[in-house]
Order: sequence, then C-alpha cells, then structure tokens
Amino acid sequence: MSGSAPDTVIAAPRANSRTLQRGVLGIVLFILAWEGIARGFHLPAYTLPAVSDILASIWTKRQILLTAAGFTITEAVVGYVIGALIGVALAVVITLVPMTRAVLLPAATAINSVPVVAYSPLILLWFGIGMPSKFVMVALAVSFTVFLSTLAGFDRVDRRSVDLLRSFGAGRLAILWRLRLPTALPLMAAGLRVSTVRSIIVAIVTEMLGAYGGLGWVIYQAVLQIDFVQVWGAIFVASAASLAFFGLIGFAERRIIFWK
Amino acid sequence: MGHRDQSGALLRAASETASSTAPAPVSAQPPLLEMKALSKRFGPVTAVDGFEAAIAPGEFVTVVGPSGCGKSTLFNIVAGLEEPDAGSILRFEGRSCHAHELLGKVSFMPQRDLLLPWRTVIDNAIIPMEIEGQPRKASRALAREMLPEFGLAGFGDQYPHQLSGGMRQRVALMRTFMFKRELMLLDEPFGALDALTRTMMQRWLLEVWRRHKRTILFITHDVDEALFLGDRVIVMSARPGRVKLELKVDLPRPRHADLVTSPEFIGLKRIVLEAIEEEAMKSFLAPGATAPQTDTPE
Repeated sequence: MSGSAPDTVIAAPRANSRTLQRGVLGIVLFILAWEGIARGFHLPAYTLPAVSDILASIWTKRQILLTAAGFTITEAVVGYVIGALIGVALAVVITLVPMTRAVLLPAATAINSVPVVAYSPLILLWFGIGMPSKFVMVALAVSFTVFLSTLAGFDRVDRRSVDLLRSFGAGRLAILWRLRLPTALPLMAAGLRVSTVRSIIVAIVTEMLGAYGGLGWVIYQAVLQIDFVQVWGAIFVASAASLAFFGLIGFAERRIIFWK
Repeated sequence: MGHRDQSGALLRAASETASSTAPAPVSAQPPLLEMKALSKRFGPVTAVDGFEAAIAPGEFVTVVGPSGCGKSTLFNIVAGLEEPDAGSILRFEGRSCHAHELLGKVSFMPQRDLLLPWRTVIDNAIIPMEIEGQPRKASRALAREMLPEFGLAGFGDQYPHQLSGGMRQRVALMRTFMFKRELMLLDEPFGALDALTRTMMQRWLLEVWRRHKRTILFITHDVDEALFLGDRVIVMSARPGRVKLELKVDLPRPRHADLVTSPEFIGLKRIVLEAIEEEAMKSFLAPGATAPQTDTPE
C-alpha cells in the first residue's frame, strides 16, 4: 500500500453506463447474499449482523454517526490538503534544485519505510488527542504518496521537449510550469486519488488510538460496549465517505486532464 | 540591441538579393553564423570533428549525411543545447561566443513536432512568445493571423491529437517562425511524413521562407530534398562528422515540382549521391558499424 509510484493506476476509472449497471448489480447481489446468510443461519450480531439491522441502526443513531463522520472527514480532508501541498512542494524543490534530491529522497523514504500508523503514539504525544494529531498523521501518509507520484511525473517529461523550451530561452521555472507540471498531472492525479482512501483510513485508525470524536472513536466505543451493529454502522458510513471522496477527486481529474 | 538592429539590416539586404533571381547569397556579406574546427566528443566517440561552415544572412543551407554522422550533435551545438569541445570556434552575428549564449537566439525545430497535448494549435504556436514574456492576448491574435499561411485556417482551437501528421508538423513550423530569430534550425522536419505530403510541404516551406526572409539551416537525409530546398548543400562525412563536400545549388527560384527531373538537378544529384555513397560505405565497413548508431548519446 505504501505509495510506490502507481503506474498501474494512471488512467482514471471511466464508468460507462454498462459497467455502472454491472457494478450496482454486483453490490445488490452481495447485500442480498449477506442478508440471506445472516438471517438464514441466525448468526449472532458479534459474528455478522444482517444488513437491514445495520441500516436501521444507522438511521436511529444518525445524529451520532453524522457528527462522527463530520469529525473524521474534516481530519481527513485538512490532512489531505496539507499532505498534498507538502508532497508537491518537495517534488518541486527537488526538480528546481537537483542537488537536494540526494538528501530529500532517502530521508522521505526512510520516514515512510514503516507503516505511518507506527508513528501514531508519538504523534498523539506531541500533538495531543484532538484533531491536530490526525491532521499530522494524514498529512504524513498523503505527502509521501503524492511526493513520489509527482516526482515520477516530473521526471517522465521528454528530454527533447525540455531542450526545445530551453532553445526558446526558458529557465527551470518556466519549464516546470509550462511542461513538467502538465506532463506530471496524470501521475499526480493517480497519487491524489489513491491518497483519498488512505487519508480516511489513517484518520480512523488514529482516532481509535485516542480521540474526542470521529468514526474511529465511535467504533472503539462500540466495541467496548459490545455493540457490533454500531461498529458495522460506523464502517458503512466510513466506507461511504471514502467512496465519495475518491469519486470527487476522480471527477475533478477527468475534468482537468482532458487530453488523455 | 545594437548588433541585432544591424543584423536586421543585413537580413533585409540579403533578402533583397535573394528575391531577385540571382543565385542567393553574396559572399561579401559577413556570415551570420560561422563554425571553425568545431569538434565534439562523447567519451570514446567523436561525433563531430573539425566541422567548418559559414552561413550568410538570408541563405538556405541544407546538410545531408549518412545516418549517425553527427548532424544532430551539430544542431544541438548551434541551438545552444550542447557545448562544443575546447578549441572549437563558433561565431554568431560576427562575435565569437559560447554555445549556451545561443539559447534563445536561434529558432530550433527538432525532428518530432513535440506539441503539447494540453494546448490548442494557437497556444502551442505562441509558447516561444510566452517564454519571452510577451502579452498572451497579442501573441494569440498574431498567431491567429498566421494560421491561413500555414494551412491551419479554422484549426486554431483544435488540440494536437485532432490533427494529421502533416498539420502537426505545420504547427511546429509555425511555432518556430513565431520565435522571430534571424537563424532557423530545422532538423529533418519532414522526415516522418509520407512522400506526397513531404513534397507539398517542401514547396510550401520555400514559399514561407521567401516571404519571411529568414536564414535557414536544414538537416535532411534526403538528397532530393536537400537540393530542391537549398542555396547550398553541405554533405557531411561518416562519423566523425566533418564537411565532405560543399555544393552551390545554382538553380533558379522560385522552384517548381518539375525541377527534380531537370538535367541540371540530376547532375547535381549525381555529385551529392557519389559523395554520400562513399561515406555510407565507409561507415558500413568501419569496425563496430553494426552497432546501432545514434547521433546524440543520451
């Protein structure tokens, strides 16, 4: 998962109506099977509650879940924006000042050679159990993925195009702005898209380790109260938030990168 | 500024002579570009060795040679992208200079069109003006006026992927022309086109050159193309590249398609072909010649 240059996911998913129909059909079948198994085998809630029970629980506890989702989404989005800016900025620095590559790249890789969650106890200690620690954790996770994909994008530019712009008298900054950045956009977008889901995951996991609210906190509290329907309810909401975030970035990507 | 004004005057003088039917450049004029003892080594490989040539203002000079003879290295040097080895002499507008000083002073067109896919035809054409810091709106208006001349009328707002190969090449040429510099370097601009489109483009280029009055240095491996376009043809030797033969093309302008079958043309062609043949055999027989040869090691 830890963002190796996502070459395989360069193209944004482009849904036509047929794949959309099949996708919806798949989800419906999956839910029906789940419902059938849970009810048919009379499974206890701590093993697998029925989907209908989960949905009912989400509805009755919508106030709690909405507040929690608001918490988590805020943490994820703010951390995401900070992380994306840091990632792009680092890649820009390395491209404009090539000397820094030898220092920055190994340092960034070393920090990210362990799962980011491993840092959470330290981050909670330094930044407290409020939102700032979640911002930092999410930003840490997102910045590395975005940094690597942006750098790969900057490096992918055609040497001959660089030479052409140089022959017109362009400096590094002009080449970065007019050539490297647009060339890198598809890879950057892939990194940004993958990072949406990671940001929600990291926010939730960090909340479970210490927080005043959020979906991770709700899950943790529900486990303590042995309320597994509530755990599933929070998971459903988190999953919906993740998908919405992913879809939003994918949509923006298709609008901006029209030439692919 | 001073020397540019002066060379602008030279350029106008040159174009006046060129527009009369007299066979182009007058040797009395100081050359716009002068190369002497120009050499370039890449590690063990000597790409160019002792190349010499002088290009007069307003002249159309074509360079032909066997593949891998260092033509592109030569062009990269003149475009300012690569420094020649010590001892090489490069003079531009009468002043001796380093290659990198030529960056931004020579309008260079590489083999591939290298159009940016996210920019329209117009916006691709104005890149050099944008880099010079000229206002975008005026540049666009100027580019729009030039579209018909480049056979692109009505295509200004299209994106490169919507165009044919010949049109893309014309956009690239238009971009080169919009970078208003005395010297234009064209590196096999029509190499990727089919034979028919290519001859159309050659005649069209001559027409545009006649109107815009620039100095052109044109690389090709096509002997017909070199003779049809040039005032002068420089044949390069097999690697290491130096001048094998310099031939004045005393054919009247404007040149028409049937020129290539005239006896004078055939006569010149025979001379050039003989020289190239000799060099091609040399590079074919040279040890290690079977290894793929590239003009510029990456």
